[in-house]
Amino acid sequence: MTELVLKGAPVAGASGKAGASAPGILTFIIADVAVFGVLFLAFMLERSGQLALFDSSSSALDVQLGLLNTLILMTSGLFVVLAVHAARQGQSVATRRWLLASFVVGAGFGINKAIEYSDKLTHGITMLSNDFFMFYYVLTGVHFVHFVAGMIVLAVLWFRAGREEVNGPLFGWIESGGLYWHMVDLLWIVIFPMLYLLGPR
Amino acid sequence: MNPMMSNARYFQYWRLCAAMGPVFLTAFLLCWGMLGYNIPPIPADHTPDQMAQFFRTHYNEVRAGMAGAMLFGVLYLPWTLSITKVMELINPDHNNIVSTLQMWGGGLTVVPLVTSSVFWLTGAFRPDVLEPVTLQMLYDMGWLLIDMFYAITTIPMVAIGVAGLTDKREKPLFPRWACWYSIWAGLSFLFELLMPFFKTGLFARQGWLNFWVEFLVWFFYILLITYYVFKAIPRLEQERAAKLANA
Repeated sequence: MTELVLKGAPVAGASGKAGASAPGILTFIIADVAVFGVLFLAFMLERSGQLALFDSSSSALDVQLGLLNTLILMTSGLFVVLAVHAARQGQSVATRRWLLASFVVGAGFGINKAIEYSDKLTHGITMLSNDFFMFYYVLTGVHFVHFVAGMIVLAVLWFRAGREEVNGPLFGWIESGGLYWHMVDLLWIVIFPMLYLLGPR
Repeated sequence: MNPMMSNARYFQYWRLCAAMGPVFLTAFLLCWGMLGYNIPPIPADHTPDQMAQFFRTHYNEVRAGMAGAMLFGVLYLPWTLSITKVMELINPDHNNIVSTLQMWGGGLTVVPLVTSSVFWLTGAFRPDVLEPVTLQMLYDMGWLLIDMFYAITTIPMVAIGVAGLTDKREKPLFPRWACWYSIWAGLSFLFELLMPFFKTGLFARQGWLNFWVEFLVWFFYILLITYYVFKAIPRLEQERAAKLANA
């Protein structure tokens, strides 16, 4: 029966080939972005009712750390693009090199967030301090969970790229992983100005 | 595969079990949701006296609703088994870890569904003699259990997605997008982690995110997976018939 039904063997979870139909992970990404979109809307609505509180709380955040994290994620995202390009051309060594670069640079985001959370908690600022910090911890916390998942994905792809053809069935996973990592970038690009930059400083 | 077993015998009860998903959903919405006044839940910031007023007014509906919820809640088990059977044939030559996880996770999902109903039923059993704070505690316990035990439901949802994504058929039994939806939906329950920290707002038990979004996501998942299980069964019957013919 295996021969009967397992024809074609397309790539699991993704288009399988460059230029083929959109990877299935887009469903995950669209649903995830939609939930974040609603959270962003809730933040803006809540902010409009407590403008002074949100502005004063926002000024307690470290813009430089936030900006650094933005640059880190964008750089890491660029490296993933280069990894996907290398994989499409079947260049295993280059694919692994770019994936590793993306992982190493991306790790800086985690270190920065640990420093930032530690600083806030040391100063007694928690999720229950006020509504702004409720959104701060929830938005950055949920984003951080996505970031950690993305780092695991990058590590797994790096590992598998050393054992499989990168332009074979693995390519779909590399492409899907790249799309996911860009979602992590994209969400942060909205979270950063919304939490750190809105309002007078 | 046991070649001595006919297709009719092999696939007997599969559709019946799959149909239990929508039956469960309909009955649970009626009993747990409408009769039990859980759609939406009583807000977490209500006072004990307000809670006592609720139980002392609606105790009979809640008794009926929770008795029904406990009866029909177990239908999640046969529905889960129908998915397991399909999953086992996605890659019949692989090990069955993922399908087993799905079966256990789906089966154990019955536990929070039924046990949380017991707490609400207990509140409705003697509401006239129980203290308002006790009634409030029972109601809180029910919601904390059904919401915070989400991870047992996440396991089968992720397992279905993972198994579906490894399907090598040209046209997979579960479409890629449905697999990713299942994974996403299961993981989206992580927002429930915030529920114990809030009595108002979007993360409270009555909040639009932790109630309306999360429960609708789960209900849609049940309907979606049921649909594709029903679509998968005749395909699997044809595959098995072809294999029997070639044997």
